[in-house]
Amino acid sequence: MLPFFFFSLQRSDNEEQSGHGEQRASPARLPFGKKQLPPIPKNAAPITKPVTTGTPAQSANGTHASYGPFYLEYSLLAEFTLVIKQKLPGIYVQPSYKSALMWFGVIFIRHGLYQDGVFKFTVYIPDNYPDGECPKLVFDIPVFHPLVDPVSGELDVRRAFTKWRRNHNHIWQVLMYARTIFYKINTVEPLNPEAAVLYDKDVHLFKSKVVDSVKLCNSHLFDQPKIDDPYAISFSPWNPAVHEEAKERMFTYKRRPEDHHKGTQVSGLSWVKPGSTQPFSKEDGSPQS
Amino acid sequence: MASMVASGNRDGQPLVPKGVDPETCMIVFKNHWAQVVKILEKHDPLRNEANAVQNYVEHMLFLLMEEDSGQAGAMGPILEFVVMENVMERLFVWSLRREFTDDMKLEQLKMYEMLVGQARQPLLHHKPILRPLMMLLSSCSGTAAPQVEAELVLLLNQLCCVLAKDPSILELFFHTSEDQGATNFLIFSLLIPFIHREGTVGQQARDALLLIMALSAENERVAKHVAENTYFCPVLATGLSGLYSSLPTKLEVPNEEWHCLHKEDWLKMPSLVQFLNSLEFCNAVIQVAHPDIRDQLVGYIYNGFLVPVLAPALHKLTLEEVMTTTAYLDLFLRSVTEPALLQTFLSFILLHRHESVHILDTLVSRINTPFQLGTVSLALFRTLIGLYCEDVMLQLVLRYLIPCNHMMLSQRRVVRERDCYSVSAAKILALTPSCCSPDRSPPPLRQLDSILFSKGISCCVAVLHHFTPCSHMSNSLFLLCVSAALRQIYLDVSYLHYLYDARLSISGCIQACQVWSALYDGEDPPPEKYQPGVLEEPALTRTQMVLKRVPKPVAPRPQHRPQPNTEPPAVNQLELEWDDSYDACPVQTAEAPVESKPPQQPPAEPPKHIQEMRKTAIMLVKGTYIEENEFQDDVMVYDLVAKKDARDVERAKLKSRGSESESTQQGSAELPLKNGLSLTLPPSLMAENSMKTLEPKATGQTDCKSNLQNNNTAAAELGDDLLAQYEELIRTLDSEAGGKQVKTDAEVKKPVAPAAEVEEEEEEEEMDFTSFSAETPEPEKVQSPFGPKFCSGSVGRSHSVPFTGPFVSVLLSRMENMLSNSLHVNLLLTGILAQLAAYPQPLLRSFLLNTNLVFQPTVRSLYQVLATVKHQIEEQAASRKDFPELITAAQHWLLARETSFMAAAISLDRTDVFATVLFTEFLKELAAIAQEHSILSYIPMEE
Repeated sequence: MLPFFFFSLQRSDNEEQSGHGEQRASPARLPFGKKQLPPIPKNAAPITKPVTTGTPAQSANGTHASYGPFYLEYSLLAEFTLVIKQKLPGIYVQPSYKSALMWFGVIFIRHGLYQDGVFKFTVYIPDNYPDGECPKLVFDIPVFHPLVDPVSGELDVRRAFTKWRRNHNHIWQVLMYARTIFYKINTVEPLNPEAAVLYDKDVHLFKSKVVDSVKLCNSHLFDQPKIDDPYAISFSPWNPAVHEEAKERMFTYKRRPEDHHKGTQVSGLSWVKPGSTQPFSKEDGSPQS
Repeated sequence: MASMVASGNRDGQPLVPKGVDPETCMIVFKNHWAQVVKILEKHDPLRNEANAVQNYVEHMLFLLMEEDSGQAGAMGPILEFVVMENVMERLFVWSLRREFTDDMKLEQLKMYEMLVGQARQPLLHHKPILRPLMMLLSSCSGTAAPQVEAELVLLLNQLCCVLAKDPSILELFFHTSEDQGATNFLIFSLLIPFIHREGTVGQQARDALLLIMALSAENERVAKHVAENTYFCPVLATGLSGLYSSLPTKLEVPNEEWHCLHKEDWLKMPSLVQFLNSLEFCNAVIQVAHPDIRDQLVGYIYNGFLVPVLAPALHKLTLEEVMTTTAYLDLFLRSVTEPALLQTFLSFILLHRHESVHILDTLVSRINTPFQLGTVSLALFRTLIGLYCEDVMLQLVLRYLIPCNHMMLSQRRVVRERDCYSVSAAKILALTPSCCSPDRSPPPLRQLDSILFSKGISCCVAVLHHFTPCSHMSNSLFLLCVSAALRQIYLDVSYLHYLYDARLSISGCIQACQVWSALYDGEDPPPEKYQPGVLEEPALTRTQMVLKRVPKPVAPRPQHRPQPNTEPPAVNQLELEWDDSYDACPVQTAEAPVESKPPQQPPAEPPKHIQEMRKTAIMLVKGTYIEENEFQDDVMVYDLVAKKDARDVERAKLKSRGSESESTQQGSAELPLKNGLSLTLPPSLMAENSMKTLEPKATGQTDCKSNLQNNNTAAAELGDDLLAQYEELIRTLDSEAGGKQVKTDAEVKKPVAPAAEVEEEEEEEEMDFTSFSAETPEPEKVQSPFGPKFCSGSVGRSHSVPFTGPFVSVLLSRMENMLSNSLHVNLLLTGILAQLAAYPQPLLRSFLLNTNLVFQPTVRSLYQVLATVKHQIEEQAASRKDFPELITAAQHWLLARETSFMAAAISLDRTDVFATVLFTEFLKELAAIAQEHSILSYIPMEE
């Protein structure tokens, strides 16, 4: 059962979730159609991970170092679109404002031992992605679980991804793994030996500890996010004045392709009959646009 | 009669003071009428009596105009009286009996204009008012006085406005005409002669006609009438031909950079403005009119303008003429917006064969001409690609990629693979020449140099928030860049602009292509189904396609007839004067399309209305035309149109016959232009960088020495020029290539063949085609930028050898010669390639951008070509010490084009330097497109 609350992205101003098709006002056009950089946002801060400095002009594989950040950024964008595509049940993630290498997330457990658990977490992606180690996943509050470090809250991801392989491993798999551990408990080589032992020896006590842990986590739900970031996930009590409308939109709105490309209203042309490769093969010959 | 009335009113002093009671008005009106009738009944009224009538009528009309309608919409008493007494008709008949001068027509037209425009109750519903109006209109139809015409069109326009507001009057308009013994919709017919007029009169007439066209969409009867009983569509379409013939056949090109007609260009050409007005009108008619009218018009434009006029114009004798036609065609394509009309133009380009060669193939082959024709052709293809038309892309590129035999069999799955880690982008950017490394140029220039590549596309950058579904990403990207910039790391900030542009262009393209029939992803359409040969349908089928797509006419059409060139020779001379385009659209009949029909049939009778029209035209030509019918009959109207058309047609015929004889004499000379130019240009020509030495001679046609025997005609001179250019090319090439060109020698002789051998020549041409297509592209031939294969196009090419199509080949060839291309050619080339790369179809995307895809050895990829160019640049840079400085100078110069930034002088002749700068920017553009593809094409959407 879902408790009455609403989680939202902590956003500074009037920014709205892009999902409902109302996009931010486009920036003012310059009179001469020149390209220019936008002003630096006021809350701009140095990125968390320092960019490697003083690198040689070309890296070993012949690519220019100057473009490295772009490749990284797009790799992570690709990962993010993959996550969206997977539609992981009960999992929500949101990359941070300040760095694409840090993603905020929350996971809802709907049944099993951890039922009603709402666990916030943060994913840290190594800056040499996808060639480095596997990403880290840290729960905001250390959940009582054999594979979660009771102090740091870090999930033992590495056991599932002993070696992170580009093209084969993706971040959605890490998220999926984070969900699985709550349904299928593994006690081998635990980060939390107490939990592991209890689960094996005294399931009843384990269960009650889990219930306590879930309660604890949920009681901190409305706390300020651990990391101050405009895109950090924050929860607030249900407030019809604020949330009702948004909820309605969520249930009625389907993003249509036209909305997605709003502002670039171009229509193509085709007179090709489906299944044919002949131009102007459509039977009626009437224009189709 | 009404002039004073009108002017009196315009002075703002109404003759009837406000507040006079209706009864008094009625009494005044009746009294006036009684006086008028007395005079009307006299056989020979005196001059002052006529003036008296004018004064009375003037006053009466004002009374009528000012009268309000009675209760519940009943007629007011004055109107009732006018209707009962048939006042208007009697007045009209009276004026007819007297000398019916232009001045009188003018006055009466003005009178009605005022009545229609200002009366307070509906007048046109009443036959006694409508009938004399129609009679008046008819009587004005033949007039030549510009003033009368202007007033007539104004009134007609006004009547159409009334019709548009109150379609119930429509019935009356039809009925009134029937009373006159004509079955036509007079106000419509009267407007037709003004369709192509310039100035206000033409504009008003077109506006009025559009109102009726809009009416036709709702009203079946109007639609049927226009399509079946009027010459509206043929007049409109053949009018285009007439106007086209008055366009300059050679454009004065401002400079070498010029490649397409911009608005500021054509605004200076009144004839072109007039043509575009009429084209715009056709576009508007197609937009609003009933589908029957639309289909008919589109058919006439195809068969009456595109095929008989534009096709030959695209195959004229001189480079300048052909270039001019190409520029016109490009402009027309950019002017047309209605899909049905675009379809007509596009099917002409894609499917029509002129002298057995598809227009498209000819156009593609011309990209390779080193003259301005090549540049203008490139601009045309930029327009074509920018239409996001599946049919165009299918014919140009996709059909060659569908079978997937341009890649190794094992690679098919790669087509749809996603480049998650920007591997292709990295590989593309790794081709950046060392002299242009992003780590090398000074930071200030780096910030600015994105301007370099804006290429006139007006867009500004909002890097921030530029991703809709996950906009925060760009924030962090942006911060990454900013912080990197702050820390003095050489991060290419300009690259953000390319990413932004790429995103805009890809998302626009994705959206546009949603109407396409297939995904073109290596599975749909299935490659197995379209293995070599399957895509290549026989010529007959192609023609059928053309026929099939031409909409079925509503009007009876000529039956199936043989192609125009197989027409029986013994045709009456006068018959020939008539525009064949009317009946040369044999194939439009519903039952025509098909296999079951024998290829040739005896010519059938043309439909009745065509026969009629032809008869009238012939009578006019013979000078024996007698006005058999009264003026109120529409025939008169059509006569006028026909007369004008016949004149035009005659002129056009004479012209075309002239050019026919020219081409008969010079048929062989035409060969190199159509195909030979690109065929015979040797690989070494451009590769050896010889363009510069070539061009001045080639474009200056005066210093040509001719080997031709009969150069005494103008036609021969034209051919001469071409030959001279051609020989010049050959000479240059011979010296360059050191006489290695065995094959060219044979071709050099070809153009100087005497006229008698034309037929043989044509056969040779055919043979050339087949021999080219039979050729196996050996690796070194594939390398050659001017390999003959580009021209063979769809003509009998065997698909057993992997081939990505003439268009791609020709683009890559020109790309490979980047260093010797002029700046603007390179801008066009890279622009077209970038536009192609933005298409989301996996087949195209993987072919152009996926550097991991393994192609068949004989297939050249964009990446390979880019690598070749990079190699050339590195060699150049290594051999010249000042190359880096020149690069910087070129960058500054290009920046200065866009800003007020002062730049060091650098000659544009340094094409290699400019090309290097452009090349570097193009790599960024392509890489950005590749990166955006990896995101945009995969954003999940709700079903």
